[in-house]
Amino acid sequence: MYRVMRFEVLHAKRQHLLFFLALVLLLSASLFTQYLLEQRSQGRAAKLEQLRLLPKGEILRPALLGYQQLGADLLWLRVVQVLGDRVVRDKDYEWLYHALDVITTVDPKYVYAYEAGGVVLAELASRVDLSNRLLEKGLAPNPSSWQIPFRLGFNHFFHLGDHTRAAEYMAQAARIPGPFPIGPPHYTARLASRLYVQGKNPEVALEFLEAMLEQTTDELVREKLQRRIRRISLERDLQMLEQQIRQYADSRGRRPASLMELVLAGLLPGIPSEPYGGDYLYDSKTGKVMSSTHDERMGVYVPADSLATRGDVE
Amino acid sequence: MRILSIALNTFRENLREKLLYNLLFFALLMIGSSILLSRITLGDYHRLILDLGLASINLFGVLIAIFVGIGLVSKEVDRKTIYTIVSKPIPRYEFLLGKYCGLVITLLANTVVMVAGLLIVLQVMDVPITSLVFKSLALIFLELMVITAVAVLFSTFTSATLSAIFTLAVYVIGHLSGDLKEFAKKLDEVSQMVVNAIYYTLPNLERFNLKGHVIHHLDFGMTDMALSLTYGLTYSAFLLLLASVIFQRRDFQ
Repeated sequence: MYRVMRFEVLHAKRQHLLFFLALVLLLSASLFTQYLLEQRSQGRAAKLEQLRLLPKGEILRPALLGYQQLGADLLWLRVVQVLGDRVVRDKDYEWLYHALDVITTVDPKYVYAYEAGGVVLAELASRVDLSNRLLEKGLAPNPSSWQIPFRLGFNHFFHLGDHTRAAEYMAQAARIPGPFPIGPPHYTARLASRLYVQGKNPEVALEFLEAMLEQTTDELVREKLQRRIRRISLERDLQMLEQQIRQYADSRGRRPASLMELVLAGLLPGIPSEPYGGDYLYDSKTGKVMSSTHDERMGVYVPADSLATRGDVE
Repeated sequence: MRILSIALNTFRENLREKLLYNLLFFALLMIGSSILLSRITLGDYHRLILDLGLASINLFGVLIAIFVGIGLVSKEVDRKTIYTIVSKPIPRYEFLLGKYCGLVITLLANTVVMVAGLLIVLQVMDVPITSLVFKSLALIFLELMVITAVAVLFSTFTSATLSAIFTLAVYVIGHLSGDLKEFAKKLDEVSQMVVNAIYYTLPNLERFNLKGHVIHHLDFGMTDMALSLTYGLTYSAFLLLLASVIFQRRDFQ
């Protein structure tokens, strides 16, 4: 009897040991195969693949059952991880655009995704077309965001060289009320006006600034805007005078000897008064007009900025 | 009074459910994990913490409402304990209402724990706590009340497993019913009326979803809030009344 019991105990012990060994064996086998699979796919390829194969936002959105924002967050998290990994190949930016498109369809108000996505697509991927497409998609659902039009303005100015459209976007950004960072940075309006000028459109710049001035109650900002208006009026006059000089030269075959000649020829009703109380100086050799108060012309980027010795430098 | 004693009894009974603690544990784990996730994201980490927190409270609340709710009546029937109550001079609707209130109290206790977890995380991570967060939480709780009523309704006439499937289905439908209205716009007049009628009868659970408002700081006025509250309460009352009618007619073998 005793022996039988002992045998049973031994038997039970052996069974426990066997179970334990089997468990360890199975676990290590599954871990090993998992490791092998990992090696084959190299982890990262799988991540890329998943982003590429992401279902369309229009389909994903209802499937998230009211958890759209969380879904967008988790997708964004994945995009960020992949971007942070290493240099991404050119063709991979197509999937990046796709992923961003899905994220912003699932949560159309995810301003940061538009903004950061716009930057990555334009600067890292050199795909300004995709960047603009993403940002333009964000304009309608986010009327109170300055970041999206600001970024679009930058793309149009810096990458596309389209100053007029850049100015339009910057003006749109500048119209968003509120202090930074709810509203745009204080220089946005000035930037927009510079862009209008650069786009040879000082009239629009002035119009825009007048509108801004009307909306603004802050004294400091008002003063800055008024300074800006004065400076642009000067630029407008200079551009206008130079254009008349060109016209005069085209019709008469020579440049006028003085600005008065333009008035006498009926091209101007009179020489406009200089907004800073100075005079317009005309160089009949080059056909350029300068102001006695300012020795530099306006533009978005003027290398000679540092050489300016007189007048408002902005 | 009788409703209250049944409710408290149900609450005590629910506290013995292991499932409850499991779900609560995972909810708190998810809310807490947002701290880790916010470290590896780029940009707005406030958004991630709020999103994950509110979504966890919502999702786990729904799971508790469904998986505890479906057993409310069917368990009593299975264990034959229902005879001891039905044979007493208590109207059946009072029994049902007591059961419902008991589960709502359970859910309230759970939600309070989860909200406390969320508020701690928000405080630690310096995320501003706005009134919108509380409005959103109130409406999440209202959604849980509606889901519970649905679970109770199904548990009066089918088995626990089927009730769970049906209630989950209603939860999914409730978040998609808005689309019905969109489809209806493309149909002819008669079908449009039919589809619209279906749309208005089904619960529209998206009405209780303020998670997007919280994250994007969109205003949700008091009138909207009051209307949503009324909608949730009347719809739950309707479901409970329907459940009572069915329960009244039921014959326990």
